[in-house]
Amino acid sequence: MPMVMVRVGAVMALLASLAICGCGGSSGPARPLIGVSMAHFDDNFLTILRTAMVEHAGKTPDVDLQFVDAQGDVGRQLSQIQNFAAQGAAAIIVNAADTSATPGMTRIARDAGVPLVYVNRRPAEDTLPAGVVFVGSEDLQAGTLEMEELARLMNHRGNVAIMVGELASNGAQLRTKAVEDVVAKYPGMKVVEKQVGNFQRERGLDLMNNWLTSGTAIDAVAANNDEMAIGAIMAIQQAGVAPGKILVGGVDATPDALAELAKGTLAVTVFQNARGQARGAFDAALTLSRGGKVDSFVWIPFELVTRENYKAFLNR
Amino acid sequence: MRKGRFSSDAGIFLVLIGIAILFEAIGWSVRGGSFLFNGQRLLVMVLQVAIIGLLAVGVTQVILTGGIDLSSGSVVALAAMIAASLAQAPSARAVFPSLVDLPVVVPVVAGLATGALCGLVNGSLIAYTRIPPFIATLGMMVSARGLARYYTRGQPVSMLTDEYTLLGSGAIPVVIFLAVAAMFHVLLRHTRYGKYTYAIGANEQAARVSGVRVERHLVLVYTVAGILAGLGGVVTSARAASGQAGMGMSYELDAIAAAVIGGTSLSGGVGRIAGTVIGTIILGIMTSGFTFIGLDAYIQDIVKGGVIVSAVVADRFRHRGALV
Repeated sequence: MPMVMVRVGAVMALLASLAICGCGGSSGPARPLIGVSMAHFDDNFLTILRTAMVEHAGKTPDVDLQFVDAQGDVGRQLSQIQNFAAQGAAAIIVNAADTSATPGMTRIARDAGVPLVYVNRRPAEDTLPAGVVFVGSEDLQAGTLEMEELARLMNHRGNVAIMVGELASNGAQLRTKAVEDVVAKYPGMKVVEKQVGNFQRERGLDLMNNWLTSGTAIDAVAANNDEMAIGAIMAIQQAGVAPGKILVGGVDATPDALAELAKGTLAVTVFQNARGQARGAFDAALTLSRGGKVDSFVWIPFELVTRENYKAFLNR
Repeated sequence: MRKGRFSSDAGIFLVLIGIAILFEAIGWSVRGGSFLFNGQRLLVMVLQVAIIGLLAVGVTQVILTGGIDLSSGSVVALAAMIAASLAQAPSARAVFPSLVDLPVVVPVVAGLATGALCGLVNGSLIAYTRIPPFIATLGMMVSARGLARYYTRGQPVSMLTDEYTLLGSGAIPVVIFLAVAAMFHVLLRHTRYGKYTYAIGANEQAARVSGVRVERHLVLVYTVAGILAGLGGVVTSARAASGQAGMGMSYELDAIAAAVIGGTSLSGGVGRIAGTVIGTIILGIMTSGFTFIGLDAYIQDIVKGGVIVSAVVADRFRHRGALV
């Protein structure tokens, strides 16, 4: 009988720890939890960010980190935030599935009195209340850096095609706007094509194939991210266009993109500091959960990556 | 019910021609050039939907039995991840550092086997537990996508061998799609496999009474659909020279749309592969056409949805009463 009681007790304790920390680990229930809701688990850049956050959190062993995948769905993400708040999380980190839905998320966190940190995707609000911060990079800057470098390589003359990411994403809208603004600055340049490639390599490939058959002269392709840029490069190579005739630029500096830079097929990319954002977000969440103060907007700068300096980014 | 003679492919072919002529006309006024008389563009039109076409052939035979397969897009991702992980050239980032530079047959078979296994699970669940195909394949859709992400924790699998990427280069995806379509056209119209498939969809009880082993055949049909999705995963990862867990997203819906545009009845028993091929090409012609005439990206999906429904309506009007 006492044996049974011990077992029941053990099971109850296990269930309790599962319920509280939600991770099933061997940790006790007393450790504070930081809940993280990511827009996508299968997005390459967000995966680097997520991995970096796990690494960085490992240096603070008395805090538990729990990740959930919103799968691009705002409704799912709102419930995840509510669940974290109900679980008594010390802080919540959100990589918004749709940045226009952030006011609702902010309200949930404020009502529950839980600190909230938005990471990577900038929330829609112009000002954030106390206890709510954004850690990320200014997407306009990425588009500006990318297009200015392409423009320089084109001697500020020629036709530009833009590959746009997901239409609903703030990053795609801002990067595209920045690229268009740079092109508009130079009288010898104009945007001749602009279509959506959803940030995907295959879509970039198909898009470039279609453009190449349309006969429009294109001197440079400015893609909103590296995956679409790599798709464009593949299409250009398969069509037998002379290397270097069409300049291709991307954003993110993924390992695949750096390999293309090394080969000379990619002209430029822009490094978005995933580790910097991950570290910044975790540190902000930790500081807020311990009652400290953090600036409403923590900016992690983009950095231009070219054929000359790409080696410095290989291990970042 | 006999071999779906009610659905004529001529009607939907006319719709295809109509859409093409429309783009041709708009093309001349907007671009000042021909849309259709460009060999490279005709190839691209089919190339960009070749993977969806493979899935559409698989789902056509599933729909013929009165079922549905929602898992094909996710199975593409899972097969792409597993095949790509066994097709890597030596590099610091290899998933299995000891399993690089394998003969190209290894990743191909692994991809096909992955698809076959997923299809086998779908078919067994549907045939032996009698849960609706919608639910069984919905479960697989979610689980296979989850597995694809779990496999490398969301990391893409790149640096694939040249022999492997050859499978997706140039017009090869188109050749694979059309060869598979031709094979299944024959298989469905001229073999016992096809006869049983139509018979189950037209009237399962009657098929059973006339000696068709319904359960076994259903398992077979879903397994074959899985293999085609696995093939789609192999070709798509070879084409992009990368395996990514987000591949094939919502391809299952495009595949079902291609089959239905092509005259396959969702209630089973009626439909043909030739129609599905035309339905697939309609999807491809729209993508190329929208890009050619420079239609605003915000408008494209709105128009695409409208065209899909109108294509089916136009076809049905020609055969009023023949199909429901």
